[in-house]
Amino acid sequence: MVRSFHLARFELRRYLAHRSDLAFGIALPVVLFSLMVVALGSDAKFRGVMHVADLDGGSLANQVLERVENADGVTVRRYTQDELADALERTAVSTGFVIPPGFSASVESGAPASIVVKSRGSGGDEGRFVTGIVQGALRAAASEIELRRVAGVLAGDPANDARLDEAVRQALAGARTRPPVTVVTESMRLREASQLDRLLAGIVVMFLLFSGTLGARALIEERRTGTLERLMTTRLSAGELFAGKLLAGIGRVVLQSFVLLGLAFAVLGTAGPVVFLQCLVLAIVVAAAVTSIGLVIAAVARTEEQAAFSAVVLTMFMSVFGGTFLPTSGTGWLDVLARFTLNKYATDAFVGLFGEAATLADQSAELVILGAVAILGLAAARMMFRVSSSAV
Amino acid sequence: METYLEAEGLTKYFDGVAAVEDVSFVIRRKEIFGLLGPNGAGKTTTIRMLSTVLAPDAGDVCVGGHSVIREGDEVRKRIGICPQELALYPELSAVDNLVFFGRMAGLSGHEAKARARAVLVGVGLEARGSEVVKKYSGGMQRRVNIGIALMNRPELLFLDEPTVGIDPQSRNHIFETVLALRAEGTTVLYTTHYMEEADRLCDRIGVMDRGRIVAVGTPAELKRQVGDPDRTTLEEVFLHLTGRSLRD
Repeated sequence: MVRSFHLARFELRRYLAHRSDLAFGIALPVVLFSLMVVALGSDAKFRGVMHVADLDGGSLANQVLERVENADGVTVRRYTQDELADALERTAVSTGFVIPPGFSASVESGAPASIVVKSRGSGGDEGRFVTGIVQGALRAAASEIELRRVAGVLAGDPANDARLDEAVRQALAGARTRPPVTVVTESMRLREASQLDRLLAGIVVMFLLFSGTLGARALIEERRTGTLERLMTTRLSAGELFAGKLLAGIGRVVLQSFVLLGLAFAVLGTAGPVVFLQCLVLAIVVAAAVTSIGLVIAAVARTEEQAAFSAVVLTMFMSVFGGTFLPTSGTGWLDVLARFTLNKYATDAFVGLFGEAATLADQSAELVILGAVAILGLAAARMMFRVSSSAV
Repeated sequence: METYLEAEGLTKYFDGVAAVEDVSFVIRRKEIFGLLGPNGAGKTTTIRMLSTVLAPDAGDVCVGGHSVIREGDEVRKRIGICPQELALYPELSAVDNLVFFGRMAGLSGHEAKARARAVLVGVGLEARGSEVVKKYSGGMQRRVNIGIALMNRPELLFLDEPTVGIDPQSRNHIFETVLALRAEGTTVLYTTHYMEEADRLCDRIGVMDRGRIVAVGTPAELKRQVGDPDRTTLEEVFLHLTGRSLRD
């Protein structure tokens, strides 16, 4: 197995030595991403925005919003209830706040009240950040209310220190056990991301698929030049050779993923390092799947031209019907076709992670399908793999 | 002399057509054995079977006491292959190529680097080993191709037309390398289309035609089958044995 790792490392060095492969695999997507961002626009900077529907309009609600607006890095954008629901539905907003009617009056009368947070998945880094700011503003407002109530209780007898101490103690104990204001989070698992999210995910997957499948051409070139056959006259077993080629393919695609995802995240701006790491884990599974498809092509094709043709046709078919450019509808024959493409599952999983703030666990169905493609593809390629293409 | 390689009844079919049929011969330890034949005679297929790349449909080969069919890994420990094509990675340096194939042959990283340095000296490329191979001349690339085959200190070296398309200086260097290897105890199987080359280098020669061995002997013995060995050339023997009709 050590030889497999050494072979994989050597293959990666060869990949890095091929300028044309690097240009196609990394430089081209960088250019494409740039064009897309220019064409579609994006929020490249982190912005903490409190998207809020203030249905109360009372003094306390205004006080909380004012405090949030005064916090560094956060602005308040006001919506009607329907506008906020629509923005959440369209994924224009990942976290929205609803201040219910009667909120201020309820708190001022001593009854508990809540601000409702509606988020897509975890709400993303921005959502968590803004929620924290809102909670801080609420706590400060609640403290003032309690103090005002205590002051009101003592207004008729300001000199009685013992009563003052007792009133403050009771008020604080009550606030601890029954906070006057709370934040209630409602997580929304919506399945639609923005057009840019989907396009970026689709383009990433398309290039990974291109790289994985075009790797088949390199393998056939090795067969043609005789290096593959020469390797088989060393101590390297066929299994080690195959494992090394697979590892090299995964390594190459993961390397490419790192660059492409980094770029995608820079464009999207809001996702954090945890989401990036989850995307990289997903990229390894996708890499295994696309590499195994590449090995199947290498096993079936006889010439480099056949391999290149197969890779391009397969990648374009999967990209077009797998929802890279337009989301599949969920019904009809196009959706049936999409189910036979690797792109659908890979793109959906990537969109879920960085477009909908979902976790890897949420993408388990897609991961299982991609893993199955990798295993079945490898098994098929291993069975059909030939070291020599000629009978001379 | 001790037999090092013994092929017995080797047969290989492709799509029902016999590429090699019932081929039997021996190669003795420390000899240079020439395998000659016109294009399509079955030389390369034979070498593929001798080197464990192709499994024979019938027959077996014993290399250093090990069967290529049952003990392929033991055979691969003992052999080095220099194929007809430049089977190397031109975008990488000669050192990288040598070290890589050395590692694949079972050497440790340290051993492979040390052996690569020695091999580079042996093939006359010690001064330019760190340059990428694609910048080399044809002759230098051929020498790297041979060097790769020497990385595991093979007991049996297969050289499949190692001098095609190179200048006389590089060819002469290859001859000297092959003779030096024999003097060190390496057994060599050498194929070529240059008859004077075979005459100069080979201790014994096997002539193949249409998938079969049609003659085996020393150059002098083969010449004697046609005429006066002092006046007959190996090319005349070759044409006598394989005919003058053109081959595909």
